[in-house]
Amino acid sequence: MFRARPLNHVTLWCLASEAPDVALLLASHGVFDPVAEEDAVLPDNPAEVYRDVFLEADARLSRILEQCGMQAEVSLPADAVAPSLAELQEINDWLRETWQVCSRCKESELRVEEDRRRLAGLKETYARLQRLNLDPSRLLRPDSLLDARLGQVPSANVRRLREALALAGYVLSPFDHAEGQTFAVVAGPRREGEGIGGLLSQAGWRELPVPAELQTHPEAAREYIEQEERRLEAAAGIHRQERVQNMIQFGERVRDASIRLALARPLAEAAGAGLRGRRHLAVFKGWVPRRAMDAVRAALEERFHGRYWMAVREPARDELDRVPSLLSYPRWLRPFLPLVRSYGVPRYGEFDPALLFAIAYVLLFGAMFGDVGHGAVIMLLASFLRGRWNWLRVVGMTAGAASVLFGFIYGSVFGYEEWIHPLWQSPLHDPGHMLALAVGVGVGFICLTLVLNTYNRFMAGRPWDALLGGGGFAGLVLYLAMASGLYSLFTGDGFGSGKGAVATAALLIIAAYTWAETHAKPGERALITVIETLETATNLFANTLSFLRVAAFSLNHVALALAVFTLAAGMSVAGHWLTILLGNVVIIVLEGGIVAIQALRLMYYEGFSRFFSGSGVEFSPLRLQRGVELGVRS
Amino acid sequence: MSAYLNTRVSLYSERLWTDEQFSRLIRIPHAEVPESLTRRGLGALARGYGGSDPLSLEGRIIAQLLDETRVLVRPLTGPDRQFIIYWTHRFEVSNVKTLLRAKMAGERFTSLVPRLIDMGPFARLDLEDLVHADDVMELFRRLEHTPYADIVRHARRAFEESHDPFILDATLDRAYYEGLVHRAQPIEAAAGKPMRDLMASIIDRTNLVWLLRYRFNYDLPPARVYYLLVGGHYRFQAELLQRLVTQTSVESVIAALPPALGRTLGGARSIMEVFCSLEAEAAERARQVLHSAAYPLARAFAYLILRERDLRRVRVVLRGRHLRLSDDAVEQALGHTACGVA
Repeated sequence: MFRARPLNHVTLWCLASEAPDVALLLASHGVFDPVAEEDAVLPDNPAEVYRDVFLEADARLSRILEQCGMQAEVSLPADAVAPSLAELQEINDWLRETWQVCSRCKESELRVEEDRRRLAGLKETYARLQRLNLDPSRLLRPDSLLDARLGQVPSANVRRLREALALAGYVLSPFDHAEGQTFAVVAGPRREGEGIGGLLSQAGWRELPVPAELQTHPEAAREYIEQEERRLEAAAGIHRQERVQNMIQFGERVRDASIRLALARPLAEAAGAGLRGRRHLAVFKGWVPRRAMDAVRAALEERFHGRYWMAVREPARDELDRVPSLLSYPRWLRPFLPLVRSYGVPRYGEFDPALLFAIAYVLLFGAMFGDVGHGAVIMLLASFLRGRWNWLRVVGMTAGAASVLFGFIYGSVFGYEEWIHPLWQSPLHDPGHMLALAVGVGVGFICLTLVLNTYNRFMAGRPWDALLGGGGFAGLVLYLAMASGLYSLFTGDGFGSGKGAVATAALLIIAAYTWAETHAKPGERALITVIETLETATNLFANTLSFLRVAAFSLNHVALALAVFTLAAGMSVAGHWLTILLGNVVIIVLEGGIVAIQALRLMYYEGFSRFFSGSGVEFSPLRLQRGVELGVRS
Repeated sequence: MSAYLNTRVSLYSERLWTDEQFSRLIRIPHAEVPESLTRRGLGALARGYGGSDPLSLEGRIIAQLLDETRVLVRPLTGPDRQFIIYWTHRFEVSNVKTLLRAKMAGERFTSLVPRLIDMGPFARLDLEDLVHADDVMELFRRLEHTPYADIVRHARRAFEESHDPFILDATLDRAYYEGLVHRAQPIEAAAGKPMRDLMASIIDRTNLVWLLRYRFNYDLPPARVYYLLVGGHYRFQAELLQRLVTQTSVESVIAALPPALGRTLGGARSIMEVFCSLEAEAAERARQVLHSAAYPLARAFAYLILRERDLRRVRVVLRGRHLRLSDDAVEQALGHTACGVA
């Protein structure tokens, strides 16, 4: 819980032909995090083609499932074998053909829908066309000297098309508009050659089917439309039926393809993460938890009977910053993780601040917002959070509980300090004492961060930095000596020469170390050393004073409640209780929100920034497809 | 905000290359090239120097342009911001064309992916999804759920009628530039002549070159050529374009141009020479706007035009060096590249 689990670096050699099964085995154990490492001896990615085919097949399968409305319930038998490249290619080919069938069906359905919309617009258009004093059958005669066309074009293109047609000796005459389309007649002298076909295509022109009898028999248009509607309805029915047939025809094989692709996924993912190889050998490189090594070895032995070779080693010192962090937490701590993760992931070997964060955050919130009533309301409100806010429910309820606890300590219920007897005292009872206590908490907190930072630097392989750096042990000695000296000074005992000597020595050590670590011209180096050393000292105290806000907000809470009571006192009974109610709502929402942010700020800036790099990468092992387990007997 | 943009543009303009600096880049030893590139803000190109992948070089150049655009766009709001962001979309239009051509040719996604431009924060298309379309009609359907839906729906219908890939390219290009003109109009009202000059240099050049190519290289009829041009704006109003498309040769088109434009073209005889002359004129105008006290957005736009021109030329030099061409050959290619030929 306080640091990432120890990992081993594993190099696993196997036959390229067995790589799919090795990847499947590793994924089924969920303990192998592949890593991309350049290796001149292993120039190839033996599963590159496998991955490409997989990605193509997987995309097609998803589309088929979506198109046919099928759910692929995948359960894998324990002795399942991953498909070879040839098998995967075969699946991909079949999926392509199947998708083409489904796609044609989909395309036809879309066209029917489009035609239906168009037909709806035609009804009105025909009515208007009918009122025009012309006979379309004569107008559109193909053997006429006049090249006339009836059709529709996007309205936005009309002006441009008219100008362009004029250059070819044609005219465009609109007679109707509907849904962004303009219905028009285009006419001009008939000529040999391409004519205006290319131009009309370019402009999105669509010919309008006109029944020849439109003028002579007014019913013709209605009949035509009814006939078209029937045709489209029939076509839609056929396509629906076709879709159902597809589901029946392809369902079994689609399910089988889903299983085969689930088995192929681990190698495809490993290939994407940097699987290397040479000729007939494939090499998996990655990280495995030390305690899972025996299980992995046994599983490999059972499955491949020595047809593999595995080299295991501890992480090298110079690669520590690239080792992923395998972190595990008790269930109750997990809701706090999003707040820690928003800062970063602990590096391998680094102190994991999740538990410290949870405890300190909740206590700081409680100390700044201590009130039995307000805390209980926060607990109640947080308990209603569900779904994606589930994590916030636990954080909110815990923070509310801390608020209740500190409410008892301060003796405050909805701001009333006479309802219960305080276990300690109200913040306003002795503000100076509260402020001093807050600084004391800050000193303790900063000391803890310096200790943790010293530890982290040791673990990162930087012992000198841990001992002599401003953020390490020397900084801790400087801080303790100065904090102790200042405390003595304020209590009237004087700073103390011994403490002064220790602080000076620590400051000089920090300066000397900064000088040694700075690579620049002498003048610049001296300037950097002076500024950085002074900054170390001033930062430590600025960070400490930042904790004054803990006392300030606890005082602020009481002061706000007093302000509400003062306002309420000058009102009638109804106004009084309304003011009390609204005042408490404002305190909970506004002040509660500010305190939550301030507590987070203290943790991030005064805490994490001193010792937590947050630059780690989470352990992300190869896994079987979500919701899939190996071991279900088919 | 305009002070920020003005300062940023002035700082960036220090990165622009002079002809002498290009000559030096051609001749300096290999080891000094990365440093020379880094000094002019091209660290990303310096890091990949020596690599053999032209696609990667192209990608890094566009990434550089997009990165600088991202910085310039930061203080902008409203139509100014929309305009500059839209200016980057021509790379995405290029992605759409690449996707369509690849699907028409039945290419597999693995060979297609490296050719697509990574639009970074300006991306509006889910390329990961689009590359997996099995054929061109499916790609059309997917594109109809993107911000390019209107253009693509129109292009699809046209394509269904004729199955001519030229229609797709022409429709996409024309729709893009119409959109650019549309977005520039409110800015021209505020920024006045400098912005109008910049837009005129882009749209007029595009129109004239398209006109010549469509008419005399592709042999399209005048009416169709006219339709494919960007609507009458700037120096090429509708009447002039209508007159030009009916001309029967490159020379007669040039002769029918307004006298001022004719002087700009000098003795240009071919489409290439026309392009070169107009490109040089556009660069000169952009330089004037950049070094004036023009509306900040106009200066930023001028910088982007000049920076892109520079980067095209840097690409030529780097590729020339990679192919071990002689200095003179690279210099010669550079002269053409100033006109976007190489």
